[in-house]
Amino acid sequence: MRNVGIIGIGYTPVFVSKRKDVNIAEMISEAVEDCFANTGLGPDDIDAMVFGNMHTFEGVNMPHLWAADYIASLGKPVMRIATGGTTGMSAIHAAYYHIASGLHDVVMVVCFEKQSEGDSQVGLMGIVTPEIMAMLQAGIDISGSSGMGALAGGSAGAISFQASSYLARSGAGIEHIDGMAALERRNAAKNPYAHLKDANATAESVARTALISYPIRFGHICPTSDGATVAILASEEKAAELADGAAWIHGLANCASDASAGNILEGVITDPAEQMPCQLAAKQAFERAGIKDPKKEIDCVEIYNGFAHQTLMFLEKLGMCEVGEAHKLLDAGELEINGRCPVNASGGVVSTNAIGTSAMNRVTECALQILGQAGEHQVEKDVHKALSHGWGGLMQYVTITVLADKPRKG
Amino acid sequence: MEETRIVNATWDVSTFKYRIEGQGLTRMLSGMRDAKLIGIKCSKCGTVYLPGSFYCRKCHIEIDEAIEVGDHGEVMTYTVGYADVRGNPLEEPRVSPMVKFDGCDAWVMGALEGVKPEDVHVGMRVKVAWAEERTGSLQDMQYFIPE
Ligand SMILES: [Zn+2]
Repeated sequence: MRNVGIIGIGYTPVFVSKRKDVNIAEMISEAVEDCFANTGLGPDDIDAMVFGNMHTFEGVNMPHLWAADYIASLGKPVMRIATGGTTGMSAIHAAYYHIASGLHDVVMVVCFEKQSEGDSQVGLMGIVTPEIMAMLQAGIDISGSSGMGALAGGSAGAISFQASSYLARSGAGIEHIDGMAALERRNAAKNPYAHLKDANATAESVARTALISYPIRFGHICPTSDGATVAILASEEKAAELADGAAWIHGLANCASDASAGNILEGVITDPAEQMPCQLAAKQAFERAGIKDPKKEIDCVEIYNGFAHQTLMFLEKLGMCEVGEAHKLLDAGELEINGRCPVNASGGVVSTNAIGTSAMNRVTECALQILGQAGEHQVEKDVHKALSHGWGGLMQYVTITVLADKPRKG
Repeated sequence: MEETRIVNATWDVSTFKYRIEGQGLTRMLSGMRDAKLIGIKCSKCGTVYLPGSFYCRKCHIEIDEAIEVGDHGEVMTYTVGYADVRGNPLEEPRVSPMVKFDGCDAWVMGALEGVKPEDVHVGMRVKVAWAEERTGSLQDMQYFIPE
């Protein structure tokens, strides 16, 4: 397979709750223009497009075709990707396959979400509609007060089972979720493309926010954001011709398991905090990247964390530390932007969540760290290899991408 | 600050005509009428599903061994809710555990009564409080109570 590098990145000027000044296609085009401006490239340099966002969130069923002229895709192959929360990284993976296979040389990835124009909870409901219909017929109480299968309600309700299981089995406490959220809010304050920023956030200030569904507090939860991200990927030969530098994809993998949330109809059998797909995908991606000890070889990490406990949980599942150790790294300051294992220097998904972009931004943020272009949120240590992680599906699908500062050999 | 948008609408669920593999659910519901929990066991790996699937997702084989599982079990994880599904504060916080019944591999969601939120813990033993008049509905299992 051929080497593939990320040679350009573009963002919308801001990621915020409501972009009322632009429509969906206009907003996407801002990131496309930003990427062209940053690279000096134009539509004629692009061979093919990959487009991604959450299915049903805006209720626009074919946004990749609707926005065709705004993403400069006229006359080019376009593929839409929708794998849930992982969409943005799956789109990067699709572009990688396009180029590594030799089919195309330069591919542009365009991902967006404009949550203010849709209804994300209705979109999420679409994940389990057939099951809910069957459960309603069988007497499930949707208010959650009685009966088998009584629901805890929405994404935060489902995730609280995961967080609670993680705390009980890792030895971490709710104060560590507070501390992790605070660290990421502070990092977000250094990132012009982050949404929820608080330079003065502390574990104590997060602990003062309301409990939504134990152990999840308001301060642990991601916002709903409007924004778009664009990246240009190229073969080694084209990268040398078109760009000054690149972040090279050394290994990638993805993995699913059985549905761990909502699948009451056929028996829920998986601990929502087990996250076996993360362990399997990370192992495979590290093997492909030739990484033997990620603890030593990975310089920074971007984790998909809609909820702050997930940063700690996934650090352990990814093999970046031992089980039950992540909260100790947090206490020791090692996860900070100037620490030994900087995590989510960007502020993470918990600070910015335009969902179609969220898993993609884990990759683009790792690329910026490798290229030394992250600006104020550039981590202190030198970054040679970086690990990005996407999570979503039915709480059981994970994508991994390992980036490096040099093309892969062999 | 902008106010939250509220959209009032109705959702006619009868328009959905999904065909769902629900025989395991049907079997479990008929058992619940007799205050019994009937799952399905895989003959190869031994996994006990509740409600049962007629297919083992681990072994990729058809399975059909009905097995009664205990109505006592262990809290595997839990949450405490402070608001209803519309976001209105509840008068009393609501404890919702996932429980692994004895002799079963599934984690089942429900409500837990008779214990204060601060006294709930993972590993706690609980049992089913069955409804007195049972109709073969998920409501037959009213909630969990401490063992
Ligand atoms: Zn089996």
